[in-house]
Amino acid sequence: MKWKHIMIVFKKEVKDIVRDRKTLFSSIIVPIFLMPILFLLVGRGTAKMSEEMTTNITVALTADSYSPAAQNFLKESLETQGEDITIVDPVDDPWEAINSKKAKLVVSLDRDFEDKLKALEPFTLKIYYDNSLSRSGGAVGALRSAITKLNGTIAEQRLEALGINPEILTPVVVETENVARSGDGNMMLMMLLPMIIAMLVAVGGIPAATDLVAGEKERMTFEPLLTTRPGRMSILIGKYLTIILFSFASVISTLIGMLLAFIINPSSITMGLGQIGGFTMDRGSVILCLIVTLLLGMTFSGLQLAISTYARSFKEGQTYLSMLMFVVMIPAYATMMIMPNDIQMYMYLIPVLNTVSAFKLVLGGMTNYTGLILAVATSLVYVVLSLLIAASMFKNEKYLFRS
Amino acid sequence: MIELKGLTKRFGNVTAVNDLSFTVREGEIFGLLGENGAGKTTTLRMLATMLKPTSGTARLAGIDIVESPEEVRGRVGILFGGESGLYDRLTVYENIQYFGELNDMPVREIKKRIQELADAFGMNDFLDKRAGKLSKGMRQKASFARAIVHNPDVLLLDEPTSGLDVGAMREVQAFLIDQKKAGKTILFSSHTMSEVEKLCDRIAVIHKGSLVDIGETEELLGKYGTQSLEELFVRLAGDGR
Ligand SMILES: Nc1ncnc2c1ncn2[C@@H]1O[C@H](COP(=O)(O)OP(=O)(O)O)[C@@H](O)[C@H]1O
Ligand SMILES: [Mg+2]
Repeated sequence: MKWKHIMIVFKKEVKDIVRDRKTLFSSIIVPIFLMPILFLLVGRGTAKMSEEMTTNITVALTADSYSPAAQNFLKESLETQGEDITIVDPVDDPWEAINSKKAKLVVSLDRDFEDKLKALEPFTLKIYYDNSLSRSGGAVGALRSAITKLNGTIAEQRLEALGINPEILTPVVVETENVARSGDGNMMLMMLLPMIIAMLVAVGGIPAATDLVAGEKERMTFEPLLTTRPGRMSILIGKYLTIILFSFASVISTLIGMLLAFIINPSSITMGLGQIGGFTMDRGSVILCLIVTLLLGMTFSGLQLAISTYARSFKEGQTYLSMLMFVVMIPAYATMMIMPNDIQMYMYLIPVLNTVSAFKLVLGGMTNYTGLILAVATSLVYVVLSLLIAASMFKNEKYLFRS
Repeated sequence: MIELKGLTKRFGNVTAVNDLSFTVREGEIFGLLGENGAGKTTTLRMLATMLKPTSGTARLAGIDIVESPEEVRGRVGILFGGESGLYDRLTVYENIQYFGELNDMPVREIKKRIQELADAFGMNDFLDKRAGKLSKGMRQKASFARAIVHNPDVLLLDEPTSGLDVGAMREVQAFLIDQKKAGKTILFSSHTMSEVEKLCDRIAVIHKGSLVDIGETEELLGKYGTQSLEELFVRLAGDGR
């Protein structure tokens, strides 16, 4: 194995792939543009949804309980409670009204509510909502809080009329202050970013890997290459480095894509759920986390190279390698919701999960050196193993000359 | 010079090449003749060190294929099959350059050599075109040039004319004659009798991996009293079944 030969192969493969529009497109161009589009669309969707639940809440009386007095009472007592509530014209059928967007919520009042109010008796206000529509189901909370405030106001008035200080109703005054160091959007980022990075690092090299051995066998360029001076391991390592390069290129282009989305609309990066910021990350952990990621990329590059060598044809290579993609996606998706506190020790020992865990840990501003160092150590073993598998494939005449 | 000594290759139960021993003399064109499946490709792959012999060995230009495969590879040029085996996305220049670099040639020398080859094969017009955009004839010239960029002592060609039209076939033959004049030792396999008859100084006939006969082209023809090698081949190889 000679470094000079490795570099000759590496340089040629990079040049070759960069000229292949298909591979270049799927591993670099697509992530750059797909990410902003995805994030902006989903982000806009969720932002719009949460806006619908808290703004312009239209409430209608049922025709049954309608009277000018009832309409007036709602207008005066609910529109003034600080929520964005508007009382609209009465409707016959609550379901029809909500679904045709005449109102987000429909209410009915006891017909004798005015008498009960005067007699200091409770009366019933019934809320009709459609929980299958987020704009309706989500608006209930706003209406409820308006009514709670209304109850408080009426109670205060009644106590004052009796000459009692209304403060006797609130023996405990609650104050809250959010001391989180990070914005509430960080959680969303903690769910998405580790998954995306781990997945891309593991599968990003696939287009290159397919082309580099299975493709080369199919185009009959492989045998001439094997009759040149370099040993087989030099050729293998040259190709291996190329695959690693492209698996990281796809991650970097994805991160560029996400950055683009962030620049276009900062809240899109958390799918519209709050702001990010205030990260406090431990430098040592960040470095270990990046090493784990690098090692994951190397492990999967080795596996891809082995699979591409095993494949009889380009098509077969594509099929096997897309199966590998599923193998990666399952653990990545399964751990999406896991928060840094929930990470179990064993997760640092399993490929893909180790990278997901390390990133969650770092983004959550936590440290766990034992976990991270174990992750690095086991990852090193995986790198060596995958390279050994690739090398044994590459030395095996049975797989190399299968035609 | 190529010297085979008991060269044998088994794939599982199949003995693809069985105890082949013969010598190809320096500067001659030698034909390896056999039907499909006779073991020609396997023999050439072993000589090019792509496959390891199960037993036996061979020496190319005095170097042992089992002991120093890397050095052997530096001394042989190959052309396997009618396919050019060029990288479509690289230019002709880059294709040839790549093989020069892989064979440890200094950059300056590669440049000089490619210019020489371009002049010799008339490739100056398409040297900077991508191989994928070339006509068949241009690709063929480029693959000749690539095979000999490092000025190898020995040329191994596995059915270099298979699938080619008459014109392209003539190009190959002209190339081989030229290379012989340049002093190269050439071993090429074929199942097309006519071209072996025309080009080769000597011939080895193999059947089911074993050597059936070897000799001067004329000698073989005289010995068996047949006028065409075609018939000779049928007689020698066909009987064994
Ligand atoms: N990689 C391989 N694995 C198993 N059997 C092989 C392999 N390569 C060749 N063979 C077998 O070896 C025999 C000789 O094949 P080959 O050398 O390709 O013959 P030829 O080139 O003369 O047509 C055939 O029976 C073939 O099936
Ligand atoms: Mg053959």
